[in-house]
Formats: sequence, structure tokens, C-alpha cells
Amino acid sequence: MTKLLEIANLTVGYGEAIAIDDISFSVARGEFVTFIGPNGAGKTTLLNSLMGVLQQTSGTVTFGGEDLKALKPEARVARGIVIVPERRELFPGLSVEDHLRLGAFLRRHEGRAKMAAALERIYALLPKLKERRKQLAGTLSGGEQQMVAVGRALMAEPQLLMLDEPSTGLAPRITEEIFEAIDRLKATGMTGIIVEQNAHLALSVADRGFVLEVGNVVASGGAESLRQDPRVLAAYLGAGDRYREAMTGTETIPRAEEEG
Amino acid sequence: MTDTVLFLLVDGLTNGLVYALLALSLVLVFTVTRVVNIAQGEYVMLGALTLADLLQGRMPGTLYLLIGGLVLCAVLDAGRWRRDWRRASLYTGGLIVAGVAALAVTRGALALQLPVIGMMAVALLLVAPLGALIYRFTVHPIPNASTIVFVIISVGVSMSVQGLGLLIWGANPYPVDPIAAGGVMMGPVFIPYQSFAILITALLAMGGLYLFSEFTLIGKALQASAMNRLGAQFCGIPVNLTGALAFLLAAAFSAVSGMLLAPLITANYEMGFMVGLKGFVGGAMGGLIDYPLSLLGVMIVGGLESTSAYVASAYRDVLVFSLLIPILLWRNTRARAEAR
Repeated sequence: MTKLLEIANLTVGYGEAIAIDDISFSVARGEFVTFIGPNGAGKTTLLNSLMGVLQQTSGTVTFGGEDLKALKPEARVARGIVIVPERRELFPGLSVEDHLRLGAFLRRHEGRAKMAAALERIYALLPKLKERRKQLAGTLSGGEQQMVAVGRALMAEPQLLMLDEPSTGLAPRITEEIFEAIDRLKATGMTGIIVEQNAHLALSVADRGFVLEVGNVVASGGAESLRQDPRVLAAYLGAGDRYREAMTGTETIPRAEEEG
Repeated sequence: MTDTVLFLLVDGLTNGLVYALLALSLVLVFTVTRVVNIAQGEYVMLGALTLADLLQGRMPGTLYLLIGGLVLCAVLDAGRWRRDWRRASLYTGGLIVAGVAALAVTRGALALQLPVIGMMAVALLLVAPLGALIYRFTVHPIPNASTIVFVIISVGVSMSVQGLGLLIWGANPYPVDPIAAGGVMMGPVFIPYQSFAILITALLAMGGLYLFSEFTLIGKALQASAMNRLGAQFCGIPVNLTGALAFLLAAAFSAVSGMLLAPLITANYEMGFMVGLKGFVGGAMGGLIDYPLSLLGVMIVGGLESTSAYVASAYRDVLVFSLLIPILLWRNTRARAEAR
């Protein structure tokens, strides 16, 4: 498979504090990978640095063969790197449809017909957005806002879709709806990175996973094998004691490694 | 008595509308870029003096400011050539075309001796881009600076532009022709045609901004950048461009305000600062984020100004600026009530 995104020795920090410490991984076209781990592990930092809103301290990020280092966020969006941010970052005074149109801001010269077709595709994937198309984003429920954030991102026609904690603050039923949409996107061949605290959910859609802790990848592997991993169980169940046992345990745990 | 009250009312409304364009500029700039632009009034001065030059058949000094700014812009963005020479040549070519076009339009307008309205349009064309250039020189390099840094910078810009104004135009006041001389008696009050011109222009400007914001994608992008800068970046909206656009539109509104005001008070190099501050007092009522409240604010400022000019003219400015204190207290209690 061809690599879409390749990350080598990426380090990101806020001043002195290092949030992402020398991590390397790659994502192939059509693949969904997930980063799981507790709060403050650096998951959001990782995505924000890939988006270009945070400067990387060192390392290289290559997307489709191009070094991203000097590119501003809008240039990255133009290349198809699009994020559904953790805090959604919507525009409270604009309508749902405005959000979707702005999602396609960089494709505004493609004409009305294409824009209308793109809107219809989003409405087919997330029918609730069609009902609410004229409503202001600030008046929507949390789940609807999350759908707007997903829809807005998709309007940019992403090559790489990054989802930051899509389940945060949502009722289980709504979360399910969102993840069903993600599943359908994956079936269309979308490449993605999904960051989640809810590891069970994340591993259910991802092909591969990485466990991130204080800026380091401490475990990685296929989604199925990670699900059995005691580290992962500990990380998302928040069972600190069991985790410490696993750390000091002698049984072999798949170490963090660069893989295909 | 009624005559006086009516007169003051008309006068206050006229003043208020002039400041309204200022307040509009300040709110637009602040919401999109988080800059409290103390220098906003300088565009009032530039607009007025440019119009004065054009009406008297002189090459306006603003043209040289503009061309100088475009050259500086090309120099500052020289780094583009290393990254992508195609886009750099397009960009530099665009700057050159803009400079040549400004020169051609100005010469043409002077040769044709356009009427006041035409000259206003030309002056607008010369002053508005200065807003975008000043954004490029001051805000663009440090987009995430704190509000207080931007305030200090804008004070510096205000002083520099005033200095340039003094250099170009000297300290003499310049008379400026109104759009239409004379006026009409409406009942007991004489209303100059210029007041109607101010009313119509202010309404057109506000209406235009509204239509632009609501019915174009670029306008929506401007609103989006104002509501959530990060979210706008995630949409691929270049926030530097929307910032420059906000500065450009604000410069245009303020310049128009100066051109409308100048016939009433004559134009000089230091007229802008006072007007800018009065627009700011009005805008403060809306916390520099709320258009309708800011409009209400400038109307109160205008009314208070004309009343105090009548009752105690020596204290006019003192009274107007004192208004800032109750406004800030009111904003503060409101903010606290909302925080609860």
C-alpha cells in the first residue's frame, strides 16, 4: 500500500514543555489508525501539529511525498488534511448550511452545481443536518454540533480525515450515530486518524492503533490485538493499578514500533 | 425652544452617523483581528485630505503613500520567490498593476475634473488599500500577539500616519466642498443637503456591509473568522486575508466618514484622532463586538456632542469623553451579570 502520511521523529512542545516526544508512524491510503490514551497524553497536540496550528519542534511530516513543515493550516486543508476538532470550533452565529459551505471554502471556484451535489452527499450521510440546515450552530445540541463539525470537514473533500475525540460529551446513542457515519466513510476508502479516550470505540473502527502516553507511543499494533492488550485495557478503563502491574510484568507486550 | 431642540437633534444625528461609520470600522476590525485600532481615525484624515487635494486639482499625496506601501510590501514578501516563483510573480505583478492602476485612475480623474461624488470614489480607491497594507506591516507578522500589544502598535501607527500627514499636507486646514451645497428648510429647521448625503451614505455603507456579510461566501468567511479564528483556519480560510480584508473595509468606511465630515469642519492632518476616539466611545457601548449597540452608542455620542456644544461649548470634548466612564461601568455590570 502507498503511504499517504509519514511521520519521522516528530517532536512538538509548548515552550520548554514537550508534548509529543520523538514519535514516528505512517498511515497508508485507505487506512484508519487510532491514537488512544489518557488526557494530556498529547493526542490533541499531535493532531494540531499535523494541522499546522502548532509548530513542530523537530522531525519531519510528509504528506503525499511533500514536506509539510512550512505549510500554513489553509495550505494543509488545500492538500486534503482536514480535522474535526475536539471542541468542534463552530461559528455560533452561522447556520448549519453556512458551516458546510465554509467547509468547502477552498473549493468555492468549482461552481454551484458541485457545491449543491456535495451538500446533498453530506445530507445523505447525516440526515439530521438537512432538517437543521437553517438553524444557527449555537442553538444546536452537542450531538448535532458534532455532526456539523464532521459535515464541515467532509465538505473539504479530505484525503486524510482527522477526528479528535468525536465521542466527547455525547450520549451513547448519538456517539453510535457518529461512529456509524465514520464506518460508512471508511467503507468509501477514506483515510483517517481518530483520537479517542474511548479506546473500545476507536479500535472498533480503526485498522491499527497506537497507545500514547505523556508524548510517547508505548504500544502499537493491529486494532484486534490491541484490544486484548492489558495496557490498553488499563488505559481506557483508567485502572491505574492494573496498568502498573502490566508495566512491571514480565509477559511480552508488543513494543512501540514502526510498522507498515 | 422647540427650534433649538430640533436643530440639536438634526445636528446630533448627523454627527452620530459620521461616528457610526467609525464605530462600524472599529467593530469590524476588532471582531476579525482582535485589534483595538486606535489608528482608525487616521483614515478619516487621509480620506478628507485626499478628497481636498483631488477637488483642488492636485495630485494627492496619498498616491505616493500607496505606491510606497506597495513597494514595501513587495520587498517584505520577497521570500515568496524562493518558495514558489509562479505565485510570487503573480503576487508581485498584482502589486505593480495596483500601483499603476491607482496612478492612472488619479490622473484620469484630475484630467476629467470629476464631480465631488466621483472624486470621493477615487479618494476611496486610494485610501482603502492603505488599510490592508497597514495590516500587512503591523498585524500580519504577529497574529497571536495580545490585545495590549496591538493597542500599542496602533498608537504607533496613528502617530506615524499623522506625521506623514503633516509631512505631506502641512499644518494648514483645507476646505472641502460638500457633495451638494445649500440645504432645505424643513419646518423651522434648516437642514443642509450634506446632512442628507451623510444619512444616505451611512445607510448605504451599513446596508452594503450587511449584504456582503450575509450573502457572499467571502462575507461568511469574514464572519466565521470573527466568531472563531481557529475554526476558520480549520476550514482553510486564510485568516491573514480575512484580517487584511477587515482592515481594508474599515479603512474604506472611515475614509468615507472623513470625506463627509470635512465640508462641515475643514480638513487638517490632526482631525482624525478626535473623530476616531469619538467613534471608539460609541463602539465601546457595544463592547466593540456588537453592531446595533455600537450604533446606539454613537448616536448618544453625537447627541451629547451637539447638546454640549450648545450649552457649554468649551467642555464639549470633556463631556463626550466622560461618557466613556458610565459606558464602561455599564458594560462591566452587564458582563458580570452574564458571567453568573
